[in-house]
Amino acid sequence: MKFSENISVFNLVFFINLYLFAYNKIKASEISSIEHPTLKVPYEVLNKRFRLAQKSIDRELCHVTNAVSELEKVLISDTKDKNQITSLIGGVMEKLNSFKRKAEDVTQEEIECGRVIKRRVEHLKEHDSTSPAVICQWRKLRLDRLLMEYVLRAGYYNTASELIKGSPIKDLTNLDIFLVANDVEISLKNKDTSKCLAWCHDNKSKLRKHARKHFTGQDQAQMQAVQQCMALLAFPVNTDVSPYKELFSESRWDGLVTQFREENLNLFQISTPSAFSVALQAGLSALKTPHCYRGPLNHNPDCPVCQKNLNELASSLPYAHCSQSRLVCHISGEQLNEHNQPLMLPNGYVYGQKALEQMASENDGFVLCPRSHQTFTLVEAEKY
Amino acid sequence: MDACVAVEKEVDKVLCKFTAFQDRSSLLIRGLYSDLENIKKQIDESEASDDCFTLRDSINLLQNQILARTKEIITNLSTEHRDLHSSVSKVGKAIDKNFTADFACVSHENFFDEGKQDMINEVICRHYLREGCLNVAETLIKDTGIDMPEDAKVPFLELNCILTSLKVHDLEPALEWAKKNREKLRAQKSSLEFKLHRLAYITLISEGQHRIKEAIEYARRHLTGFVHQHEKAIQTLLGCLLYVRSGLENSPYADLLSSCQWIEICEVFTRDACALLGLSVESPLAVCINAGCTALPVLLNIKQVMQQQQVHNMWNSKEELPIEIDLGQNYRYHSIFACPILRQQSTESNPPMRLICGHIISRDALNKLTTGNKLKCPYCPVEQSPSDATHIYF
Repeated sequence: MKFSENISVFNLVFFINLYLFAYNKIKASEISSIEHPTLKVPYEVLNKRFRLAQKSIDRELCHVTNAVSELEKVLISDTKDKNQITSLIGGVMEKLNSFKRKAEDVTQEEIECGRVIKRRVEHLKEHDSTSPAVICQWRKLRLDRLLMEYVLRAGYYNTASELIKGSPIKDLTNLDIFLVANDVEISLKNKDTSKCLAWCHDNKSKLRKHARKHFTGQDQAQMQAVQQCMALLAFPVNTDVSPYKELFSESRWDGLVTQFREENLNLFQISTPSAFSVALQAGLSALKTPHCYRGPLNHNPDCPVCQKNLNELASSLPYAHCSQSRLVCHISGEQLNEHNQPLMLPNGYVYGQKALEQMASENDGFVLCPRSHQTFTLVEAEKY
Repeated sequence: MDACVAVEKEVDKVLCKFTAFQDRSSLLIRGLYSDLENIKKQIDESEASDDCFTLRDSINLLQNQILARTKEIITNLSTEHRDLHSSVSKVGKAIDKNFTADFACVSHENFFDEGKQDMINEVICRHYLREGCLNVAETLIKDTGIDMPEDAKVPFLELNCILTSLKVHDLEPALEWAKKNREKLRAQKSSLEFKLHRLAYITLISEGQHRIKEAIEYARRHLTGFVHQHEKAIQTLLGCLLYVRSGLENSPYADLLSSCQWIEICEVFTRDACALLGLSVESPLAVCINAGCTALPVLLNIKQVMQQQQVHNMWNSKEELPIEIDLGQNYRYHSIFACPILRQQSTESNPPMRLICGHIISRDALNKLTTGNKLKCPYCPVEQSPSDATHIYF
């Protein structure tokens, strides 16, 4: 038993060293570890826009070539009617113009999509600012961004629209895809599949790819869910919806809404637990100490984990790891170090020199232990 | 930051290429268009003069050159656009390479289950109340249907009102509040009221010579009560009167006019008012998320290392994170004692024990180091009985 304990300690030391070795690399990645969706979603939008643009351009290309071959046919033939030729030339010119307009429009749209990514990258770069005020503001904005995503995922659309008022986060969060989703959800709740079907059609190819990638090789237990999804996929292909109607009984509609919500997130590669949830868990764990669970006497009003709701939320999470002691004065909350030495009262409770001296100076040399409510003289307090 | 730069580079490239494509396609098509326009005109005119040679030439030119070029250019443009896809997908690749997609691997997936959603919503609601975003908080209550007691809102409303006035340099509401809570503020050794009066006095002086008399009267009326606690500060405040005539900006008292004074007063007010109401100075949610964002890269890294070592069990343990995360001094709220011998945090069953020589080790370490009824301190040569060690509380 003892032996295995030692091993785990050594393992830990080993990991710590490994970690310290890599520390310089890690330092800059506060951004890279949580901002993936911030950039990936607008990228997916750009990618989709690109494919649509290519389709439009090809369609225009087809129109132009058709007009050209029509003209060529006449040119090759023996009967060369000038009027017909000039009118056909006019037709080619018209199609060319339409090609030009379309190409300009769709490229402009692609450029706008690209600029969205660029704006977000620029915002993320501000995190590296040297001014504390800028960083403070940036962090505030990050919290708003994370919360925005959380409320959108949960479907609190009113809160979301309240949040964007007077805030620059509108361009920095993936509001649009959620608003589309909201539209679909509302119509689904009214038992109208048309919008959802339109959405499925819009994202047909992506959904198929997604289905192929994720649904193969899953076990039998999930087969039913998979079948449902596939049914959802089948709609745009089958114009005749009626065979599937029986599948969706009254209670199914709510399920369909949730399922749709998940699919929509998957499509844009947004991870299932929200970034907010992940950051909150990591933060609670990093702050959680055993003191937070040893009754109100040990609580610190500034400690988040000592707050009622967060305390309960953190209860199932691991504690922070601490290999070196770090002492904080229970009275003042200040660090205990060579400038504010820890003093031990005869009852074994330790407080900071500064706090005890101040208390004694106001109290004729007596100090009151706030946790045991015993009174001592300052002289009795021991340095160690 | 390299991550951002890498992505930005690719985005810039894509933007550049799209713009170039846009310009090029417009230019080329405009050229084709005018060629066609010319030839159309030629054909039209040739008809008028009935010159068969010109007509045939024009038709040949149209057939062999212009139409062929039209098809070629248009097809090329479509291909060019298609080729841009590689640049577009490079952006995606740069994002995937430099940013962690699967950050969720360091979290419990079902964290929000079992009615926890309501708790989180309440925390968020309180956060926005604190921030003074009453509308957001109210809408969230409506959206989620959580039960938020009315009295949770009141203190924040008042504090935010005062803070908003302070930000536009209006001291009146804050002074009123400080007066109302004078006794409690004094009990927690707050100098808020003095600082507010001080700023009111400075504001009077900064307006120029004609308000000096008013300023002196203000000082007599309001600052006298603080002479004992803030003697030095009051001396400074009165000393600066000497320089008002020649301009305070160029005097040794110039810093009194600095805009930092207003930022500071907002901070002092928030801190003291929160302490008085038993609230944390910073939003607990903001602290948590900031701590989480600091912790995540460390956790992701150690997770990777642990997977390489094929050690999964340590992650699953609900006892402690596998790695220490340094959140900085401001985020330390509790004393932690880690036994210098066993390198473990103290617990209820394994508390810190103080040896008679003053060294502190955990009880487990003490038991392990005891032989017979003797214990030799691992740090100094003192030999003692283990029963002499006392339980110590941080």
